[in-house]
Amino acid sequence: MAQDTTADAPDLAVLVPSDVSGWNATEVEVFDPETIFDYINGAGEVYRSYNFRRVLARRFEKPGAPDLVVDLFDMGSPVDALGVFTHDLEGEDASVGQGSTYKGGLLSFWKDRYFASIYAEAENEESRAAVLDLGRRIASAIPDEAPRPAIMDVLPEKGLDTATVRLFRTHHVLNYHFFVADGNLLDLGPDTSAVLGSYPDGLRILAIAYPSADAALEAFQKFREIYMPDASDAGIARTEDGRTTALRSSGRGLVVVFGAASESDAAERAAESLSNFERSGF
Amino acid sequence: MAKRTITRRDFLKAASVAPLAASFVPALKSGTPGHPASGAEKARVVLVRDPGALRADGTPDPDVVRRMLDEAVSAITGETDALAGWKTFIRPEDIVGIKSNVWRFIPTTPEVEQVLKGRVMDTGVAEDRIGIDDRGVLRNPVFQQATALINARPARTHNWSGVGSLIKNYITFVPRPAEWHGDTCADLAKIWYLPEVKGKTRLNILSVLTPQFHGVGPHSFSKEYVWEYKGFIVSRDPVAADVIGLRILEAKRREFFGEDRPLQPTPHHVFLADTRHGLGVSSEDRIELVRIGWSENILI
Repeated sequence: MAQDTTADAPDLAVLVPSDVSGWNATEVEVFDPETIFDYINGAGEVYRSYNFRRVLARRFEKPGAPDLVVDLFDMGSPVDALGVFTHDLEGEDASVGQGSTYKGGLLSFWKDRYFASIYAEAENEESRAAVLDLGRRIASAIPDEAPRPAIMDVLPEKGLDTATVRLFRTHHVLNYHFFVADGNLLDLGPDTSAVLGSYPDGLRILAIAYPSADAALEAFQKFREIYMPDASDAGIARTEDGRTTALRSSGRGLVVVFGAASESDAAERAAESLSNFERSGF
Repeated sequence: MAKRTITRRDFLKAASVAPLAASFVPALKSGTPGHPASGAEKARVVLVRDPGALRADGTPDPDVVRRMLDEAVSAITGETDALAGWKTFIRPEDIVGIKSNVWRFIPTTPEVEQVLKGRVMDTGVAEDRIGIDDRGVLRNPVFQQATALINARPARTHNWSGVGSLIKNYITFVPRPAEWHGDTCADLAKIWYLPEVKGKTRLNILSVLTPQFHGVGPHSFSKEYVWEYKGFIVSRDPVAADVIGLRILEAKRREFFGEDRPLQPTPHHVFLADTRHGLGVSSEDRIELVRIGWSENILI
C-alpha cells in the first residue's frame, strides 16, 4: 500500500476558500474511510478502493442561487488521486489541476495527491463560472504537481483511446469498467496498480504492476489456470468469439490483451506492454 | 439478428447469478421473507402512473399518491375496496415500521411517507405504533418491536451496487453496512433473513416518481439524469419489483444514450437475491406485470 503521509499533508480546509463570486461557505465536514458512508452511502466504496484518507465536504450558499458543493479528497498518493479521477471521465476538459472534466455543473479534477469534485445543484451561466473559479482556486492552493504515475505509460500508444484509460487497484473497479470474472483472479488489491485501455475493434489491454516479481508470477499462474487453461505455451488462447487473449508477465508486470484479432496482434501488443513496463522502471 | 457467441467472460458473469448457485445455500431457500411466488405462481407487480403525481414544484401530490397506491393495493390483493386491501397487509395490533430512504437528492419524500402512515392508521393501527425511519432503524423503538414493515424507496442507479434497490434499502438494518459491500453488494438479500426483518415485510413500494438512470461524481447524482416518470412499482415481492424498476432504468438509458449501455457495476445483487438467496422472483416469465394509469413513455 502507498505510504501514508497524511500527517504531513496540508489541512484540507486551508485549500478551500471561504467564498467565491458571492457564494459563502457554510460548515466544514470531514469524513474518513470509516465515516464516508454517512456522507455518500455505499458509493464511498469507490474511494475506499483507492485508499482514500479523508474528504472535506463544504457547501457554498448564495441567496437566489443554487448551492455549490465541494468535496476535496486526500487520496494519499498521486496514483490514487489520478486513479479515482479516471473512474469517471464524462465531460469536457476544463483545464483545471493536472486533469479535469466538466459536465452538467460537475467539475472533477486531480492534482498531486488530491481529487476534487465541485458540483452546482443547478447549472446556469453564473453557477458554472463559480464552479470553475472555485476549482481553479483550490487547484492553485495545492502547492505541488505530481509526476505522471509511471503505470500510465505502460499501455501501447498506437490506437489507444486515451479517454478510456482507467487506473485502479481492485478487481471490483476492473469489473466496473470491463467485466473479467467475479473472483479476483489477478490478485488485484491495495498493493497493486493497474491500467486498462481500449483500442479499436473492441480490443482492450490490462496492465498490472505488482509489488514483487513473485506476486506477478503467482497472479499469472492463477489467471492462466482458471481463465485460460487452453492457452498455448506462449500464453495465447483463442476465445469463444473467435478473438484472441494473450497473457504475459515479466518482472513485476503482467499484461492481458483481450479481444485481439489475431495471435500475432495479441502477442505484439503484449510484448510492447512488457517492454514499456521495463522502460518505466517496473 | 446474428447469433451471439457466449464468451468465457459472459460465462463467468452468468455463472454468478445462475440458478445452480442457489443449490449451494439450501438453508436460505426456506422462509421466503419477501413473500415471493411459489411454484408456478407468478409474482404480481403493479406499475401505477399518473401525470398528476407531482406538483408544480416537483414534490409529490399527496392526494394523487394516495389514489395511486390505493389502486396498486387493490390490484395486488384483488380487493375492490382499497382499505380492505390495505387491511390484508396490516392488522390493527401490528407495530409498523415504514422503512424509508433519506438520500438527500432523491428521498422517499415526506409526502409519500405520510400517505403510507395515513393508510396504516386507516387500518386501525394507533399512531404511536407506527415509525418512519431509515438510518436510525436499529435504534428506533418502533422498528425494534415492529411486527410489520413497509419498504418504500426511490429507484436509482448506484455506483457500487448498480441500482439502489428495494433489496438494498434494508442495509440500514445491519450495524456495519460496509461489511455487506463485498462483490458490489452481491449478497444484500441475506439481510432479509436477519431477525430484525425476516418475515415482516408486507409491502414493497419502489418509487419511480423521479427515478435516476445514470450517476456521476462522488454523490453519483446529476439532475441531468433524473426524469419525471410519475409512478410507483408495488409488490409483495421485492425482487420482482426491483427487476421491473431495473428494466425501466435500462430502457431509459437506451432512450437517452441512443445505445445499450449496461449499468456499471452490474446490479447482480437483484438476481442473486433470487438465484442464491431465494428471496423472490427475478425471472420475467414468472412476473405478472399489471400496468395501471398513464401509459405515455412507459418504457416497459
